[in-house]
Amino acid sequence: MAVMTEIGAPPRDRLSRARALHWALAAALVLAGLVSLEIGAADVRFSTILARLARGEALGQMERIVLFDIRLPRLALGILVGAALAVSGATMQGLFRNPLADPGIVGVGAGAGLGAILAIVLGAFLPVWAVALAGNQLVPVAAFLGGWGSTLLLYRVSTRRGQTSVATMLLAGIALGALAGALSGILVYLADDRQLRDLTFWGLGSLAGASWAKVMAAGPLIVIAMVAAMTLGRGLNALALGEATAAQVGVDVQRMKSVAILAVAAATGAAVAVSGGIGFIGMVVPHLLRIASGPDHRALLPNAALLGAILLVLADVVARLVIAPAELPIGIVTAVMGAPVFLWILLRRRGITIA
Amino acid sequence: MSLIAEDIRVRFGRRDALGGVSLTARPGEVTAIVGPNGSGKSTLLGALAGTLPFSGRVRLNGRAIGAMKPWELAAERAVLPQSCQLAFPFTVIEVVRIGLQAGTAGDRAEVPMQALARVGLAHCADRPFQDLSGGEAQRVMLARVLAQVWNPVQDGRPRWLLLDEPVSSLDIAHQLQVMEIARDFARAGGGVVTVMHDLNLTALFCDRVAVLAGGRRLALGRPGDVLCDEILSRAYGCTMRVSAPPLGGVPYVLPHSACL
Repeated sequence: MAVMTEIGAPPRDRLSRARALHWALAAALVLAGLVSLEIGAADVRFSTILARLARGEALGQMERIVLFDIRLPRLALGILVGAALAVSGATMQGLFRNPLADPGIVGVGAGAGLGAILAIVLGAFLPVWAVALAGNQLVPVAAFLGGWGSTLLLYRVSTRRGQTSVATMLLAGIALGALAGALSGILVYLADDRQLRDLTFWGLGSLAGASWAKVMAAGPLIVIAMVAAMTLGRGLNALALGEATAAQVGVDVQRMKSVAILAVAAATGAAVAVSGGIGFIGMVVPHLLRIASGPDHRALLPNAALLGAILLVLADVVARLVIAPAELPIGIVTAVMGAPVFLWILLRRRGITIA
Repeated sequence: MSLIAEDIRVRFGRRDALGGVSLTARPGEVTAIVGPNGSGKSTLLGALAGTLPFSGRVRLNGRAIGAMKPWELAAERAVLPQSCQLAFPFTVIEVVRIGLQAGTAGDRAEVPMQALARVGLAHCADRPFQDLSGGEAQRVMLARVLAQVWNPVQDGRPRWLLLDEPVSSLDIAHQLQVMEIARDFARAGGGVVTVMHDLNLTALFCDRVAVLAGGRRLALGRPGDVLCDEILSRAYGCTMRVSAPPLGGVPYVLPHSACL
């Protein structure tokens, strides 16, 4: 028997290459951040400000407000939300073992939205001490709970004996989204004028209302969710072979699934709470990265955080530029970029197992 | 230091898939589970692996598997499933490396490549797993399982291969290759339990055979004792005649000697 054949050249090491990509993406994020600080409706240029600071000149009040109270929080929020959406997408795809799972598409975003609207409208009826206790965390936490509930429900409905049915998942997502939308609609009737304005701005999906308060509201949940998601790399790799096999190679599957669902719900909930429904980042980013450097989740998850942040910051720049001085809701920009990619994935995966 | 199952019962809905089966597999031996379709072979293997909920007792190297964490089980036994759907475009070598997840002592970075060479697919390391033929995919999965328990004996304790129809989609040469790998693992001190369809390969390579039918164990013993006309005819529900080939005293069964 010629069993011990030549071992030959060592196999390609896609994992090291994917890890090298961390640095390239980090550099690109810095560049995207600079562009985002430079460009905006007001004629304030970051490069000019830097030059004046270098000459030791003081900044005018206008410049200070534009830079520190408008553009910096907007950049911070863009990075947080972009990273949250992309990592949620990658985690959810790993969990459902399918590249089409995206919190925005399968109703988790809608569930989180319902939670947020509940908090905005019914928050007025809560006792004062409860509102004071929750502070600006009320809306993000409510969105997290809404997202968590819908993720759990979705997983229960679409997974039998460790196998997730894609068709059931997508259809259940439509039903969940419709239900959450209808309940949100009822709540809109209960809202007063001020709440209605809040809801409208929020529903468009935009970073326009960015403030340090929003960064502080969403930041903690998103950071915790990111840290939790980064521990899932090995487990999600094993899960690609199915739940039974993942358990057989030593993964505590139940625990991993709970952590993944909580992380997706927290990141999606917090992102939706501060920026409304921004779609497709969660699906496009992991897909591009799998093509570029392979599906190993140990590198995919951190790379997704970086590329998600880059894409959302750049999408925000586009949203601010195309119809300046007015702004396009960023959800429109990401949908225009993302929907064709979604269709492209479907075309490339004609042989996809739907059952 | 054996794999001992006592009075294993498994229910699927209202149906008893296994109605109280006991089995002892010893290290150094290849133990086969044979029987007709639906007789509970894979279910018994699933219970031994700790993958299926069951009632009864399974002890692996002296410990009840119900009390072991997934990673403790993974360090002592590896399981080859009947089929496997891969969700993302991993390459062959990346799939084999998943076998190292258990992170057991003594497993080294070069093990996946050696395991791949053992199944004769070292030249496919960089190919996308999803492009492989069914038989190649099955051998890659075997390499992954071998990588998980690469040393048949670790710290004086035998490790176990649990294989569910390991040769079902292989050509004849690779059937022999895979069965030799299983036998070598056992000869080196490890334990192997394998679900088999081919009674002749079973007779050639296995040291002990359990015959199941209708969720019960009909017989357990050496192939020469168990693979006989009476037991096989009862198990498979058709008249079978076991013959001996000119070589040695190994029994063999010809399909054309069977009739309903």
